[in-house]
Amino acid sequence: MRAAIRHLVRNRRRSLLTLLAILCPVYVLVVMFGFTSAMMNDLFDTITRVDTGHLQIRAVETRASGSAMPLLRDPAPALAVVAQTEAVEWFTVRLDLPALASAGERSRPVIVQGVVPEEIDPISAMRDRIVDGVYLESASPGVVIGKELAALLQLAVGDEFTLLGAHPETGVGAVRVPVIGIVDVPVAELGRSLVQAPLAVARSLARSPSAATAIVLRVAGVTGTWHTDRIDGVAAALRTALPAGVDVRDWRALVPQVEIYMRLVSPAMLVVAAVFFALGALVVLNTVYLSVMERTKELGLILSLGASRRRVVRMILTEAGVLAVAGAAGGAMAGVVLILVIEAFGGIPLGGDFQLFAKAMGMSPALHVRVAAPQVALAAAAMAVVALLAAWIPARRASHLEPVEAMRYVE
Amino acid sequence: MSNSPLIQTLALTKTYEAGGVATPALRGVDLELHEKEFTAIAGPSGSGKSTLLHLLGGLDRPTSGDILLEGRPLSGLSRDALARLRMTSIGFVFQAYNLIPVLTVLENTAFVLELQGVARAERLERARRILGELGIDRYADQFPQRISGGEQQRVAVARAVVSEPAIVLADEPTANLDTATSLDLIDLMRRLNRDKGATFLFATHDARLLDRVNRLVTLVDGQVATDVVRIPS
Repeated sequence: MRAAIRHLVRNRRRSLLTLLAILCPVYVLVVMFGFTSAMMNDLFDTITRVDTGHLQIRAVETRASGSAMPLLRDPAPALAVVAQTEAVEWFTVRLDLPALASAGERSRPVIVQGVVPEEIDPISAMRDRIVDGVYLESASPGVVIGKELAALLQLAVGDEFTLLGAHPETGVGAVRVPVIGIVDVPVAELGRSLVQAPLAVARSLARSPSAATAIVLRVAGVTGTWHTDRIDGVAAALRTALPAGVDVRDWRALVPQVEIYMRLVSPAMLVVAAVFFALGALVVLNTVYLSVMERTKELGLILSLGASRRRVVRMILTEAGVLAVAGAAGGAMAGVVLILVIEAFGGIPLGGDFQLFAKAMGMSPALHVRVAAPQVALAAAAMAVVALLAAWIPARRASHLEPVEAMRYVE
Repeated sequence: MSNSPLIQTLALTKTYEAGGVATPALRGVDLELHEKEFTAIAGPSGSGKSTLLHLLGGLDRPTSGDILLEGRPLSGLSRDALARLRMTSIGFVFQAYNLIPVLTVLENTAFVLELQGVARAERLERARRILGELGIDRYADQFPQRISGGEQQRVAVARAVVSEPAIVLADEPTANLDTATSLDLIDLMRRLNRDKGATFLFATHDARLLDRVNRLVTLVDGQVATDVVRIPS
């Protein structure tokens, strides 16, 4: 090891070039992983926080349900199971119903989200998105609606309108409710159909005093898509404990398009990583090969003194290994430092169409960079291994030098 | 000196081929070398001195014939087995580029012991002792490029004998040295031969060295022309 380090110091420029060839791909990949992970997690967080939760417990689909979600007529047994599941950090009951919102001569199909405001408040961003009026209270019969829907129905805070619901299991119901708040949600399409109401109002509309369509829950310790295994674990545990007639769905089943997007991103990332690794490997191969060429005399001397081929390979791989480890670690650290700096400034603000796109996708209007420790370790380890594999080719060549030819160099 | 030879060559030939042209370097060399001999192989350029040394050291393979080292034939030994043989039984002193530049004098001297798997403390102690015996222990922590050519050759001799090999093969060890340094080096090797019983075989045409050997083998056109046992001056 000592000799390896001396060799590297002796050939500073080449060592530096090799180091950079390993460091740069790791650095770029860590930052790139950071951007894509942040985008995916932003999407994941938005979807699971505002809409789906990590998991939902629903009644098993029956043909009679039609386009509406089947009702959990008595969610109490399932709620008891959820309450006893330690890994669940938060849960609430929801009743989502398709309905017709009617104000005067104007009508729009809407989705009524019956929620327990006090329960969703800690995790929902809805209160912060109120642009007029106030947010829901369980004791009040008032509802909040999307600003696009308000415009379409020409409703303002204080106005009343009629909700007409029709569920295959409970028949037709109607309620007249006041608008107490108008909300600006990230996706305009959602804004055109959003009516959020206290659970009691939604239950009146469904004509069922205890009904729900879902128990929405979040799993403890999930900070991103890299923790989906935890969600899967809780889902499996719930499936064994829940009573018959209910089903557990995870966010992937609830919003399959997000899962598809993530599946598309991963292979693309792998291709980009492979290109960077290949470029790094070529430089490592070249510099180590040059080093072997320049040291033919020395290698010949070592072989003539009786060193085994394995030892010669080990000697060269040790030098490459020192650079691989240092380069990979340096690249990883540089990448993490850049990520920390970017996040310290609140991310990179998006402008123009990018901002609109992000908003339409329900994501943050700033470009964030977040990366998990395993991703950093994977990028660094993969590059180090690739560098060692690249160095193995000239190392093997060195070990196969004929001693007598090497002796001629020595002469 | 025992009667059985340390090294014996049997009708040794070596022919180099390049571009379809065969160039014979050795043409049937029969030679016996015994323990504690201080032998020189002399001859004009192209006579096959270095080739013979390479073959005896297991650095190259003969075209035909065989070499017996302590009675064991080298033919048929694998490449790795030849490397082990060089590591354990043969010490080398080359004309130039003898030392590994990134190792200190002490580490260079101990290098063969390291290859042999001798524990670090022991190999450094043995290396330091031989450097002391050869009067160059003051350079122990220096790198080769910081010492003179003559001192480098002394270190090479120290490395060659530190593991007490069966024989030390030296290829033109004084070729790049001035007269005084050459004589010093020759005296040093002579002393190791006399005091420690180290067996030396030189390929050389340095008259100063030839005067001090107790056996002189002359090669001409790849064949032994003369083989004279003599009293060194």
